[in-house]
Amino acid sequence: MTKIACKHKWVMTNIRSGYLVVEGCFHCGNKISFFSMEPAPPIDEYREGDHFWSHVGNFQASRFDLKCEKCSRAVPLHEVTAMMLCMRCNPECGVFKTGSEGRDRKTWVYVALCANTSHVAGKCVSGEGILVLNQYYNRGLQDPSKKIVVVPCELRKSVDTCQGIVLADVGLTDLY
Amino acid sequence: MKVSELTKKGEFKVFNESGDKEIKGVYISDMVSDIIGIGPGLLLITLQTHKNLIAAANLVDVAAVVFSRGKLPTDDVIALANKAGISLLGFEGDTWTLAKKLYEIGVR
Repeated sequence: MTKIACKHKWVMTNIRSGYLVVEGCFHCGNKISFFSMEPAPPIDEYREGDHFWSHVGNFQASRFDLKCEKCSRAVPLHEVTAMMLCMRCNPECGVFKTGSEGRDRKTWVYVALCANTSHVAGKCVSGEGILVLNQYYNRGLQDPSKKIVVVPCELRKSVDTCQGIVLADVGLTDLY
Repeated sequence: MKVSELTKKGEFKVFNESGDKEIKGVYISDMVSDIIGIGPGLLLITLQTHKNLIAAANLVDVAAVVFSRGKLPTDDVIALANKAGISLLGFEGDTWTLAKKLYEIGVR
């Protein structure tokens, strides 16, 4: 019997609220980020091998997984700490280049950010995770010529010069 | 209801007219981390006027954004919304009054 492939209908599941915490090492200049579900985001400095990590900033953020409503297949997105809109600031950047392939005016490139911005360990968001994020965010777009392209952050040339807009909460505690 | 039909009802300040999308529903939130999970075609009501909000609104393909309590977006926010084809509207009253108003004029 032939198995019919499911035309997945992804929905968010296992949504967790917390903080996107960014730390920097003054020794090597690397930056890392991680997702904290503690009531208050950690701001302690600490040493880890040759690194001296100190708190750079934190933002309220959420993590989620995707699950198909039809076949119940779940895709965990443990590596994704946040999404970021590419502002096309550097033509040498891999995100810019990927977004330029077959790009038209209504193509928007978003970067799925993982915890290790330096990618020293060679790990980033999984291919399956990127695939389902693309399917999820392109569902039901009103304008048929609009396209959302989600790429992994390992394509990004520099975390320090990147002008992308991270989709995390800012300004929630500002006075107005 | 289309966004243009909504603006014709008056009571809304129109910061730009970019795209005339169908309004499929309404969502109220001030948190970007919450907005990234909503479905396409919704009218987003918020107090937040920063670029992150527009980046999230574009990702989930909102019909338009309404800033309540007289909040004003800056020029760079309007420029990003124009690029993204997102109409930005303003309402002087609070969010609850706006929600009631939208219901009264037929936005469901």
